[in-house]
Amino acid sequence: RKSLSLGGGSKVLDKSHVHIPRPAVRVFDEDNNDVTPQPLYQADPGTAQAKGSRFFMNEISGGSDQTTATGSFTMPFSKYYLSIYLSIYLSIYLSIYLSICLSVCPSVRLTVKEPVTEEMLKEIIDVFLTETDTISLLDIPSAFVSVDADEADAVIERNNQYAEVCRNRMGNDKYVNRSVQTLNGAAKHKHVQSDSLVMVDAAVTVTTWDMFDTLCNLEQEQTIRSPQPEKNDFSEAVLDSSRAAERSMSVGSTVSLGNSKDTKGAFPLTPTELYWLQLIMQSERFQHSLLVMERSILLNIFQPQLAAYRQLFVLEGNLSSCLPCLVLLWVFSCKLSRGRSISSMAWNKKNLDLLAVGYGQFNSGDQEPGLVCCWSIKNPTWPEHFIHCDSAVTCLDFSANSPGQLAVGMHDGSITIYNLQSPDNECPKKHLGPVCQLRWIQQELSFTGEDRAEALFSVGADGRICKWFVFGSVLNYKTEENVLSVLTPGLCFDFHPEPSIYLAGAWEGLIHKCSCSNTQEFLETYHKHFCPVNYITWSPLSPDLWKQDQLNPVLGFTSTRGAVYDVRWSPKWATIWDLKTRILDPVIVQPAAPGVTMTSLLFVQQTDCVVVGDSDGQVTIYQLKNLSVGEGSQVNVLEDLLRSAASR
Amino acid sequence: MSLQRNSTILLCRMLTFFIFLVNQAQVEETLKRIEASKGVIGTILVNAEGIPIRTTLDNSTTVQYAELLCQLSMLARTTVRDIDPQNDLTFLRIRSKKHEIMVALENNYLLIVIQNPCE
Repeated sequence: RKSLSLGGGSKVLDKSHVHIPRPAVRVFDEDNNDVTPQPLYQADPGTAQAKGSRFFMNEISGGSDQTTATGSFTMPFSKYYLSIYLSIYLSIYLSIYLSICLSVCPSVRLTVKEPVTEEMLKEIIDVFLTETDTISLLDIPSAFVSVDADEADAVIERNNQYAEVCRNRMGNDKYVNRSVQTLNGAAKHKHVQSDSLVMVDAAVTVTTWDMFDTLCNLEQEQTIRSPQPEKNDFSEAVLDSSRAAERSMSVGSTVSLGNSKDTKGAFPLTPTELYWLQLIMQSERFQHSLLVMERSILLNIFQPQLAAYRQLFVLEGNLSSCLPCLVLLWVFSCKLSRGRSISSMAWNKKNLDLLAVGYGQFNSGDQEPGLVCCWSIKNPTWPEHFIHCDSAVTCLDFSANSPGQLAVGMHDGSITIYNLQSPDNECPKKHLGPVCQLRWIQQELSFTGEDRAEALFSVGADGRICKWFVFGSVLNYKTEENVLSVLTPGLCFDFHPEPSIYLAGAWEGLIHKCSCSNTQEFLETYHKHFCPVNYITWSPLSPDLWKQDQLNPVLGFTSTRGAVYDVRWSPKWATIWDLKTRILDPVIVQPAAPGVTMTSLLFVQQTDCVVVGDSDGQVTIYQLKNLSVGEGSQVNVLEDLLRSAASR
Repeated sequence: MSLQRNSTILLCRMLTFFIFLVNQAQVEETLKRIEASKGVIGTILVNAEGIPIRTTLDNSTTVQYAELLCQLSMLARTTVRDIDPQNDLTFLRIRSKKHEIMVALENNYLLIVIQNPCE
């Protein structure tokens, strides 16, 4: 009988031992021969500590090699003893390994403990227990399928097939036991080198408008799917600029093309910069920017005057006198208009800052081509629009319905309508003689049913008063005319606030009252003036200065020198001749520059300013100061005056 | 037929070219008027990249003004657009003790005018 003694086994379980003791296992055969197998590998006991596990493996492999390689040991050994031998070694080395671990680890797990005091023990410590999220470390789905499941039948089928296969496996030629060996290829060292990765810091500041722009661009790309028509850049830019603000059909304009290289700064312009310059100059928005910029500059220059015009508070250096006086604000003048005499002026009905001025000689023999300038208050040095006309301009008026339309009457008798907002379309019509007065009048009824349609009335030196209708853009001649008389040219007319009666003044000093419906004859005729009646207006304050039932005018105005060219009613006060204080003499006489005569007068609607045009082409704006206003309403004032004058 | 069409196309092109020339002249005239206005010290036209392409001042001053005002106008523009992205800055005026600097802004250019308003 073989016996096994574990003499040194108990020593192994002592944890203080760090080195691996030699196990005192001795195997004896029947003849009590010591056939203890010697280990093939004699390890150095000093280095056995760290290599415990490897030593262990080598021992086992050594043991197994022994069983197969050397025949002298396999004979007396049975498998029984080999298994015991292996199990003992396993237990021994596991315990040794564990002891090593335990001896090493306690040094790591050393924590500082603070002394526990009485108060700490009595403290109520809140312990919060929360459940963390379930962390799934391993998820192997079940291989069991319920009988009720859908694929149960398929699974059962497969199971049966597999059982069949297993049963047929034994002794079946189909299945043969084979061994397989994987070939491990020889490893080869290969060196690889790569470029160093360059790390660059990139940062983006995202703003609200950035996101908005990106979104807009995305949407634009999506919508623009259809192929756009082919346009070269040239014509596109031209189309843009043709809708520009400055429009003038100046035929025969002598403005030369500006040379873009003519700059004071020594900047050699490269071709790309030239290209940029051209591109920018062509764009419509550049023209708009220029317009705004010019206005801003001029507003800065003319700031005090414009503030006075708009009746803003102006800091005054010295207190002016209390007498009524005219203060010069500014002058509308440019090189185009210098030297031309002003024949008529009209305010735009909608944009109260726009003043149209017609230039033309009134009574002279030789006629130079006329000019119409539209000045804006915001730019006193250059007109907003200017139109060159064929002959001298005698009168003009803005339409109220379509404020961009300006009707111009000329010395040769043609009436033209210019449209300021779009490229001009003229529609000339003719009178026989010079057109003396034009007026757009709103009438109550029209054919198309819309109220306040407008008609253009004109009176010419040929003695006719014509009424024109505008259909669309074409001026149509409506056959409704009054013939004053063949001989006397009509010079002026004005409409009564009820727009069917009007007064017309004629060359011989007659004033006729006419009606639109009755075209053949006059309703009334007044005789007073000895000289040509140049201008006539209704007073806006009371129905009539000349009473309708009287044939004699109640009041007459005289001026000390020259002919009264123009009379207008001031919207606020009676006139520049203050009716309250002095009736016969004008309160303010503005002396004109020598050699220059004033030719037309216009009142500004909302401010107390007067626009005066003279024969030198200058349009001057004056501000009325210190003109006293009576307490009562103007109508009462007038009536009082009239009564007092009539009683004289 | 095609000859007629070609001739009309040619005529249209010539007309548009003529209009373009006239407009170019007007633009040039307006710019000259601005430069000659009372109190204007200088006018600079800067393109989108910040390069001055037309100026009435000397080189160093122009470059300085262009660079500084480009930055400032970009900042002002960002401010306006951050508040409302559909809005955009069109005009900027800086009034200092001595001058007033006016900048007209668009997508692809900057028009700078320096004026001394109270002479």
